[in-house]
Amino acid sequence: MGRLAVMAPMAQPGIIRPGQYTPEEVARFEAIVHRYARHVYNIAYRMVGNEADAKDLSQEAFLRVYRALRRVEPGAPLESWLYRIVSNLYIDLLRKRPRARMESLDVPTETPRGEVLREFPDIASSPEAILEREHLDGAIQRALGTLSEELRLVVVLSDIEGFAYEEIAAILRVPLGTVKSRLHRARQILQQRLAPYIEARKRGWEG
Amino acid sequence: MRLNHHRVGHLLSPYLDGELLPKEAVAVQEHLLECAACREVYDRLRATKALLGELPVAEPPAEFWTAVRAPRGFRFPLTARLPLRWPALRRRVAWVAAAGIVLLALALAPLIKGSLDRLHAAEIGVDLFVREHALQMSTQPLTDRAFLGVVAGDSDLVLVGEPARPGETAP
Repeated sequence: MGRLAVMAPMAQPGIIRPGQYTPEEVARFEAIVHRYARHVYNIAYRMVGNEADAKDLSQEAFLRVYRALRRVEPGAPLESWLYRIVSNLYIDLLRKRPRARMESLDVPTETPRGEVLREFPDIASSPEAILEREHLDGAIQRALGTLSEELRLVVVLSDIEGFAYEEIAAILRVPLGTVKSRLHRARQILQQRLAPYIEARKRGWEG
Repeated sequence: MRLNHHRVGHLLSPYLDGELLPKEAVAVQEHLLECAACREVYDRLRATKALLGELPVAEPPAEFWTAVRAPRGFRFPLTARLPLRWPALRRRVAWVAAAGIVLLALALAPLIKGSLDRLHAAEIGVDLFVREHALQMSTQPLTDRAFLGVVAGDSDLVLVGEPARPGETAP
């Protein structure tokens, strides 16, 4: 994935033929779906945190790929382009639904002693619960949900999808320094939210 | 390369991600060996990243696959159906129209100007001809009625025995 293809590599317009898609083109679309759909869905799911929106978002992303199929060079890497579509769609979704937008909990609160981050007591942090995978996943997803969308996008692309900083900068079209600082902030906040799980993990390493 | 606490704090995240230059990475590594506080911060970061990385890949529901494979309700928009011809044709038509308008304007400009000039000339032409003729051809200006008529008309005088304006009675 060492490429920085920001735009979908476009084929020459001259070779575009009018009419419906040929069986080869349909097969190409199938191949793209086969290769990327799981990742796209996963990113969308971690972004929105629920199945219905994740489904809509990734379906819409592939609809766009379908429409643009003839302008996409066969065999060209589509990661950056596709993931940018997903992140843009996600941002659009938030704009369309301002009421569903949660107050961002990671924005520092003003106090007389300066800015502080809110503390969140985790209601179910018994040792048994911490060890339960399902419970852990839910807690992580909830913690992700409290991040602002900017921070969430960066942390999902980096720590869940494993993109390099430069790739994230290309996908989100932000400077490299912005990726670094957002990731730093996002991890600090997640650390606070997931403190009991992190302690358990550290103990696991030490033990 | 020596690093202070504050600087290391900002480098830990990229260090964890393998995004530092080799010499920076070595410096961070050395600092971590001798600084328990930074080691603690680093371990937390590492655990955070590990927790996120271990999240299971969310499995799309079955209907997602059918919907994605056959984009339902999708119609080729006109521009997609005729991707080459239609925009190219439109662009060509626009160019031809623009060129036509320019040519038409260039051809019509002298014509319009010419006819306007002629109309203007026709308006004043007769009068001008009569005046010039009357003034130049007069051998005896003081008794030539044509000459005097022009002069009198210009200065709004009235010749003896003639009405000042058509329809008025002579003074």
